[in-house]
Amino acid sequence: MSLLTVNDLKVHYPIRGGFFRRVVDHVRAVDGISFELQPGETYGLVGESGCGKTTSGRAIIGLNKSTGGEMLFEGKDLAKMGRAERYKHTKDIQMIFQDPYSSLNGRKNVLNIIAEPLRNFERLSPKEELLRVQELVARVGLSPESIYKYPHQFSGGQRQRIGIARALALNPKLIIADEPVSALDVSVQAQVLNFMQEIQKDFNLTYLFISHDLGIIQHMCDRIGIMYRGRFVEEGTADEIYNNPQHVYTKRLIAAIPEMNPEKRFEKMHLRQSINEEYQTGYNNYFDKDGRMFDLKKISESHSVAMQ
Amino acid sequence: MKNTVTINEKDLIAREKLNNPSFAKTIWREIIHDKMAIISLILLIIILATAYLSPLFIDQVALKRVNFLNTWKAPSAANWLGTDDGGRDVFGQLMIGARNSFTIGIAVTLIAGVVGLSYGLISGFYGGHVDNVMMRFLEFMMVLPTTMFIIVLVTIIPNYNVVSFILILSIFAWLGKARLIRSRALQERELDYINASKTLGTPSWKIMFFEMFPNLSSLVIVNMTLTLAGNIGIETGLTFLGYGLPAGTPSLGTLVAFARNPDIVQNKWWVWLPAALLILVMMLCINYVGQAIKRASDARQRLA
Amino acid sequence: MLKFILRRTLIMIPQLILLSLVIFVLAKAMPGDAVTGAFMGNPDATPEQIEKIREKFGLNDPWYVQYGRWIGKAVKGDFGQSYTHQQPVTTLIAGRVENTVLLSLFTAIMIYLIAIPLGIVAGRWTDSWADKLIVTYNYVAFATPLFVFALLMLFIFAFLLGWFPYGGSVDIRIESGTWDYVVSRAKHLFLPVMSAAIIGTVGTIQYLRNDIIDQKNKDYVKTARSKGVPEGRVYTRHILRNSLLPIAAFLGYEITGLISGSVFIETIFSYQGLGQLFIQSIGLRDFTVVTALVLISGTAVVVGTMLSDIILSIVDPRIRIE
Repeated sequence: MSLLTVNDLKVHYPIRGGFFRRVVDHVRAVDGISFELQPGETYGLVGESGCGKTTSGRAIIGLNKSTGGEMLFEGKDLAKMGRAERYKHTKDIQMIFQDPYSSLNGRKNVLNIIAEPLRNFERLSPKEELLRVQELVARVGLSPESIYKYPHQFSGGQRQRIGIARALALNPKLIIADEPVSALDVSVQAQVLNFMQEIQKDFNLTYLFISHDLGIIQHMCDRIGIMYRGRFVEEGTADEIYNNPQHVYTKRLIAAIPEMNPEKRFEKMHLRQSINEEYQTGYNNYFDKDGRMFDLKKISESHSVAMQ
Repeated sequence: MKNTVTINEKDLIAREKLNNPSFAKTIWREIIHDKMAIISLILLIIILATAYLSPLFIDQVALKRVNFLNTWKAPSAANWLGTDDGGRDVFGQLMIGARNSFTIGIAVTLIAGVVGLSYGLISGFYGGHVDNVMMRFLEFMMVLPTTMFIIVLVTIIPNYNVVSFILILSIFAWLGKARLIRSRALQERELDYINASKTLGTPSWKIMFFEMFPNLSSLVIVNMTLTLAGNIGIETGLTFLGYGLPAGTPSLGTLVAFARNPDIVQNKWWVWLPAALLILVMMLCINYVGQAIKRASDARQRLA
Repeated sequence: MLKFILRRTLIMIPQLILLSLVIFVLAKAMPGDAVTGAFMGNPDATPEQIEKIREKFGLNDPWYVQYGRWIGKAVKGDFGQSYTHQQPVTTLIAGRVENTVLLSLFTAIMIYLIAIPLGIVAGRWTDSWADKLIVTYNYVAFATPLFVFALLMLFIFAFLLGWFPYGGSVDIRIESGTWDYVVSRAKHLFLPVMSAAIIGTVGTIQYLRNDIIDQKNKDYVKTARSKGVPEGRVYTRHILRNSLLPIAAFLGYEITGLISGSVFIETIFSYQGLGQLFIQSIGLRDFTVVTALVLISGTAVVVGTMLSDIILSIVDPRIRIE
């Protein structure tokens, strides 16, 4: 059974206008996306800024309200759960935030930050709590004596590790990582990413990995969904997406990855030009008359594309 | 996992405390570096200490006793600041008045602080419709002509006493604070540490008061100090008009109220002038200290 | 723009209704009603007579009928009868309103006359001795309660120095309409106006100083300077144009302060205005007058705040967004 099944998820925001502030239209931030997460895998959500990938993640964890569709976690719909039942699943789904600076409360020391989820869900004596926190801190590679320090005394990479330790405290099954490294220096990014892969094995985690960086997604993810204007454009394994992109938007994205080899740059330029031509001529194959994407269609067991 | 705790816990905590000076320490540093603030603080402490300790050396009963042989006496060695229309010692009344005025100011400030803080936090934290409704109500409260309303309430309330007076003042004292806190809370709630707490299963009231509030505490402290002076001003002002503290509980305003008679203003200055000046001095002192605290709360403005 | 003005005006209507309801409830809670007024000096009234009067004044009707009648009359300017003065409240108020309006108007003018130059000097020459002096004045004015300051002014300038009369709005021995009359009025106004204005400048000075300091470092000012615009003109043509406009709008917000100020100022200087009437009436338990005054002041504040909001939104379009 899949861990999480998202079916036709919609997050719409009303646009109010006119004198009485009636709802005139909706912003379709997420407009009917569906995907599945298998236990232990890493699923990547990619797309340009504003395409709805963060909103989807936040809807799953409950920071945004979904306005349609279902999110089945182990077979039960998160959207229809009452408050008490949803609260039980808080332990299972955790999040790593994008900005390591604002996601840690500057008024609390590391001990209090990491112990927050423990205090909500587990009744531990102060001594047990201290030991658990020290364990977690050590696991994310920080020295145990740093637990009395405050967030501003750490570097960005270290702060993100604290955020990860906090998310791990409750032994979650699913972690939603919302651009976990995009606020970090490139030199630290790889470090944090490799570390995330390490703990994935140790804790048997499933990741929903949200990013705009195709390189990172390729490095991290087993399967990938490409999002554009609130809808899926293409979905498939990393290999299928990178080596056999079908949708013109995916092609353009992949072609935009800079080429390291100078000799191939000319080749790449031609590729881009031809994709651009395809975009101009074949526009109607990919978008309907309102400029909206078609529904996904399977072209192989694991690969689907939004094409007519 | 090996047990890695070998270093003394207390040492660690102490070391980090040194690296992270508390807000109280920052305030203290700021006050020492500002001559006006340190003078104000010392003066304020002297005034308050004298006022609050005065029952030790002033006979409270004698102070209330009317002595018609001794009315309107100018300052002398026996009565440092002379006597009033009932022959009572003005200096003694001044001390008790200062004590009452300050206590009431503190009480109103604390009540208004708690109410305003909670109102602002709730409104800002939830945002949306909750915020909308709460703000409409606040806006309405703010357009009421405060002074007139307080005076009307004071006259029509049955069994009027000190407690009801404090409550009436508090009704109108929390409004500005609520608006200030709300606007900061609205900014704060967009930050990810609040989102993180939500995803960690922390209940909303805990997020408001234990996550958000510490980040607004310096703002609250600054605002409370500055409004403390204002609240003392409102209390003494209303008592001056005759609609403040009930008779029998002297305030600084009670003494100043003698000045509503032109003859007393001109010829018996010792009854009202010291009280008026004491109000002025207390206000200035509280404000200078408040300004130092304000600077301490904003790293860019610090002198120290 | 028009939409904002319309919407802002519409918000005022529930505010006014709520205000009148609150005041109506307070009025009902006040001891004494029309019956008390009618039987002043006649303690021997029989219960039947009282009941008749109650019926006649409609005091047995449900509250909303009473409220409707009361507010209907108030809108037409009929606030009922004053018990103590035995004349219509409207006449009583009309006799005083001119004095209070004059006092408030001159106070507002004085506030701007003092605050604008001081604010500009402090903002333009930050950290100069003049700025430090102005900031100190601002601190002190912020801390000083109005009634204490007014009393000190009265004591020093009217009693010790004898430069000004210590009370009243005009010397009653002088015939109205003459030049002397105007002079006498001005003399009586001077101390109350100055007391209120010197304390009232705080907000405006602080706003102006902060705003000018803010604007000084904005890019458009730097551009003007780099084009070679002389420093004086940078201020007159560029900075002040932006900083001064919103100040005009603050007048409406000041009404609250002016009203509560007038209660103190008029009491201290025995100035025959509405604030003094309010204190006198509440002392005499003449609650029809009190109710009318609270209703009028409340309406003035609501309308003033609305006007300020609208003016400000015209001057500074960013405010309209909400």
